[in-house]
Amino acid sequence: MKITFTLNMDVIEHEVEPNITLLKMLREDFDLTGAKEGCGGGECGACTILLNGKPVVSCLMLAVQADGQEIITIEGLARGEVLDELQKTFISTGALQCGYCTPGMIMTAKGLLAENPDPTREEIKTALSGNLCRCTGYKRIIEAVESAAKSNG
Amino acid sequence: MKYVGKSIVRVDGVKKVTGDLKFVDDIKLPKMLYAGVKRSPHAHAKILKINTILAERHPGVRAVVTGKDFPKRAGLYLADKTFFAVDKVRFAGEAVAAVAADTVEIAKEAAELIEVEYEVLKSIHNAKEAMKKDAPIIHPALGDYKVVPIFKTIPGTNISEHFKLRKGNVEAAFEKAYKIFEKDFYVPHIQHTPIENHVAIAQFDREKNLTVWASCQSPYAVRAALSDAFDVPLHKLRVISPAVGGGFGAKAGTTLEGIIIPLAMKVGNRPIKLTYSREDEFVSSYVRQALHSKFKTAVDKNGKLLAVQNEFIWDGGAFTEYGVNIAKSAGFAAVGPYDVENIHCDSYAVYTNNPVGGPYRGFGMAEIHFGIEQNMDHIAREMGMDPIELRKINAQKPGGTTATGAKVDAACGLEECLDSVVNEIDYHTPSEQPADPNKVRAKGVACGMKAPSMPNNAGSSAVIRLNEDGSAFLSVSAQDLGQGSDTALTQIAAEGLQIPVEKITIKTGDTDHTPYEWQTVASRITYSTGNAIVKACDDIKSQLVNLASQKLDVLEEELILDDEHVVWEKDPSKRVPIKSLALGLQLADGSGIHGPIIGRGTFVPEGVLNFDSETGLSEKPVVFWTYGAYGVEIEVDKQTGNIKVLKATTCFDVGKAINPELVKAQCEGAVVQGLGSAIFEEIIMKDGKFRNPNFTDYKIPTSGDMPEMTIKIAENPQYDGPYGARGMAEPAMIPAAPSIVNAFYNATGIAMNRLPLTPERVVNALREHNK
Amino acid sequence: MKSFEYFKVKTVAEAISRLRDNPDGSHILNGGTDLIIRMKENHLHPDRVIDIRGIEGFSDINFSEKEGLFIGACVTLGEMAHHKSVVEHYSLLADAAEMVGSGQIRNAATMTGNLCNASPLADTATPALVLNAVVIVEGLTGEKEIPVNEFFKGVRRTSLEKTDVVKGIRIPYEANLQGSFHKASRRKDVDLSTVCASGVKIGDEYRLALGAVAPTPIRLPQVEKFLRGKEINQNTIKQALDLIDEEISPIDDVRSTKEFRTHLAKVLVQRCLEQMV
Repeated sequence: MKITFTLNMDVIEHEVEPNITLLKMLREDFDLTGAKEGCGGGECGACTILLNGKPVVSCLMLAVQADGQEIITIEGLARGEVLDELQKTFISTGALQCGYCTPGMIMTAKGLLAENPDPTREEIKTALSGNLCRCTGYKRIIEAVESAAKSNG
Repeated sequence: MKYVGKSIVRVDGVKKVTGDLKFVDDIKLPKMLYAGVKRSPHAHAKILKINTILAERHPGVRAVVTGKDFPKRAGLYLADKTFFAVDKVRFAGEAVAAVAADTVEIAKEAAELIEVEYEVLKSIHNAKEAMKKDAPIIHPALGDYKVVPIFKTIPGTNISEHFKLRKGNVEAAFEKAYKIFEKDFYVPHIQHTPIENHVAIAQFDREKNLTVWASCQSPYAVRAALSDAFDVPLHKLRVISPAVGGGFGAKAGTTLEGIIIPLAMKVGNRPIKLTYSREDEFVSSYVRQALHSKFKTAVDKNGKLLAVQNEFIWDGGAFTEYGVNIAKSAGFAAVGPYDVENIHCDSYAVYTNNPVGGPYRGFGMAEIHFGIEQNMDHIAREMGMDPIELRKINAQKPGGTTATGAKVDAACGLEECLDSVVNEIDYHTPSEQPADPNKVRAKGVACGMKAPSMPNNAGSSAVIRLNEDGSAFLSVSAQDLGQGSDTALTQIAAEGLQIPVEKITIKTGDTDHTPYEWQTVASRITYSTGNAIVKACDDIKSQLVNLASQKLDVLEEELILDDEHVVWEKDPSKRVPIKSLALGLQLADGSGIHGPIIGRGTFVPEGVLNFDSETGLSEKPVVFWTYGAYGVEIEVDKQTGNIKVLKATTCFDVGKAINPELVKAQCEGAVVQGLGSAIFEEIIMKDGKFRNPNFTDYKIPTSGDMPEMTIKIAENPQYDGPYGARGMAEPAMIPAAPSIVNAFYNATGIAMNRLPLTPERVVNALREHNK
Repeated sequence: MKSFEYFKVKTVAEAISRLRDNPDGSHILNGGTDLIIRMKENHLHPDRVIDIRGIEGFSDINFSEKEGLFIGACVTLGEMAHHKSVVEHYSLLADAAEMVGSGQIRNAATMTGNLCNASPLADTATPALVLNAVVIVEGLTGEKEIPVNEFFKGVRRTSLEKTDVVKGIRIPYEANLQGSFHKASRRKDVDLSTVCASGVKIGDEYRLALGAVAPTPIRLPQVEKFLRGKEINQNTIKQALDLIDEEISPIDDVRSTKEFRTHLAKVLVQRCLEQMV
């Protein structure tokens, strides 16, 4: 069926089958492979994108549910070579290792800061608890979010 | 130093924060097909018949293969596995057949249409049971399997490796002991769970060149294994590992590559992709072997360990091609970081019908230290001694001896590490107790050590090419799995060449284009590849100096590299930019000499010796030992059984931190991964079948579980390491679980002899204790 | 995922009519976090999926002392948990909602969905039970109200007809409500309840509910009856806890044994009661 939605600021008209997840459509139809499938069951957060500004797992959403909505993926954060503040602080604090969870992690953090620009450490930990990372131990990720909040403020 | 020892930011940062980095599952090739796998529902069964007709006729299916197409056995140390079950299945989840189809969905549907008739055999799921005389034999042909000669299989049994360590005279020591302590421990199966599941693509071209894209730690080892298994010559087999979304050992060997290659052989030149689901990952990739361990320890009245007699029984699962080396590694480290004169250790790799065991971060060591380090606390308590004091009395120290009788290196910094964590966690000051009477806090400490477990001649190589603008390409096949090797290795090259990091691009992971690397495992890359890079830099330097001496008319010995120039030490104003020599030197008469500058460096550790086959002793069995310690503070909710790790501190002796922040980041990750193994993680099985093959019921730590962390680094230089560095990323995991369990004892007075400390186990233990 | 027809309906009437056309083969799609997993895993393969999130009023959440709280069917758990009136007057419900899945899940999942799934361990079910919530339903015969205490019929079974559409949940207002939600799980964040519990005190009446100890989330009528009018102290708590064994029928599964669930049920009820002192 035909859907119309905003994808990384572009208005898109697209034909998609109802039984395709949003994640699959983004990766296969739009080559937006930043969102990853880590578990397919909403437990790892690697497929997190922003739906109307809020982080959701795109593996548990049908592509057709995007109709009329606004979607931002990791590919939509940077403006050309100018990185988003969170992307900068993830690099400067060393908040990534293998990089597989990183796009989802940044999108969740982006959603958090949009809603709560000055979160406490505990709020950050809770907000990110739906994004599994097996490499970093999370410390630097939390610091990156704190640091981005500071720069934004 | 200008570049080494500096915490520069990761060189792979931008592509990872933007989603630009393409992992294997992100690769889309024209006309790509997808594989679906038919797996065994039984843990042990004879295959009577496989009917593939329905799958073959299913629309969109392009090829079907079964085990009888490829019966050749393969394996890294012991060739005991086939990529598809042939005569029988040996674990639930083993691949029996596979299809290639136009879409993932069709492939899955078609795989289900394959009909397999089984005759179910008696299965065995406990390694101790599997060692008994009447146990069903899982590999009756074990005696015929090809095995690296340093391992000892026992044909006719389920034992695929028996490593014996015999040092001193244990019996005599037990006789004169002041006290003897005996303890048993159990560590269950757990899994690496990288966030990226296993994935690979395979494609033949018209000339039978095979290209494999795989998320793998060791492209060259994968190439060797696949070449052997499928009789493709090495020069016609290219393995590309573009990015690895976490490994921890899970991606050290070959797993799913062998499933798609037979399919690729049947579909002309079309590429085939197989991406594991999380459930596939749990069930059909590697798990960490379970361990039954037993310790009998003799102590004199001062707390000196006189003798240790121990036994390690490893549940290797259905195949132990990699697992045999884990059993061996545990055996030669039998007593952990302590100096014990008399040791009698038996370490067995044992086949069971459980999932396949493989290397997992710190392999062998994390598991045996669970017992070793609890034992130290236990002995200290029974002797009325301070556990730190007991450890210090027995610690391996420079000039002492290791378990195999080797001399402890002058750079052993175990005591320094222990002092650091004791101090940092303020171990001797009891925890402040929370107001809630149902909660109790306490501290715990543990030590650990590990050496790279690898063949004595595991080699590395590096090629550096200079560009005419003064930049350089560094080519190696060490894989950055997240640990930061791309960055650290670039720093080593920058230091050697005196060219800034930003001007060096590192290329990895392509066996057609990047030079040989044995494997990215064993915490050996900084050391081994680093040494190869140092040599490649030296090679470049000698070429540059030779040309510059002609140009400047000074002695070669008086020239150094500095600030992108070749500089005359006696008068630094006499200098030549490196870039002007990158393509050789043009002489005054216009003629050119030398041509483009390429540096090559190869490295193999020197003097690593085999073990004595009867005693297991060796004067230099490994390249180095990395020592370290943990301190933790935990809180136990005595009603719900939940444990919270409040604080963790670590100190490891890394020789030289090439990039201190990356070293710390490895420790932080290891703390949290180790915490998971201590309180959450366990593969729950019933008759060999996974009951929790998903993140809903196999819990790994989240950001909410992260303790406050303080990471310290000790730097006693490794004599043959690049700039003094030695490996540390695995060792950082080892003392995690024992330190938490020791803290648990200090909180509750209860010793837990098995992992993990789940809420239910904690509550039951408290109830038992309070009876 | 098997293929299906997808309908994005604009009105309740349209939803009901789509359901009526194929009552056995239809499934309502709300937040989707449970349905889509079940469809991916092939536990469910409806012929048609009816997306109700475009229905006017379904995303409303409002409160008055007279009418109580109304939570539209499509209000997400995240929105509900942070809604001023919920935090102020129904804090245990806010706490329970915050314990469902991850932040991402809560940005899609809804309380209506959580209740309609009728999982024995639904986190928002125990507060709904003790708050005497009412499920507002529209079906072929018009609107009806089902008290949540009569809503759950078994594991994943409710009293809804196949042609019913839940419009939302109403929770009466109680001025002097004291209550709390407690959850025991293996991991602090993003985990299913091993056991969960809610308790409220309204005047001299105590209401208690437990999740994951029976085929459905349950109230504890015997314990409530025993406590009625009594003061909460060590002694009454102990007596109350002794009655729990009779009220629950937990099972063994991969998350816990029944013995441990029984233990946790008592710990959590004790915590509910202690907070009322």
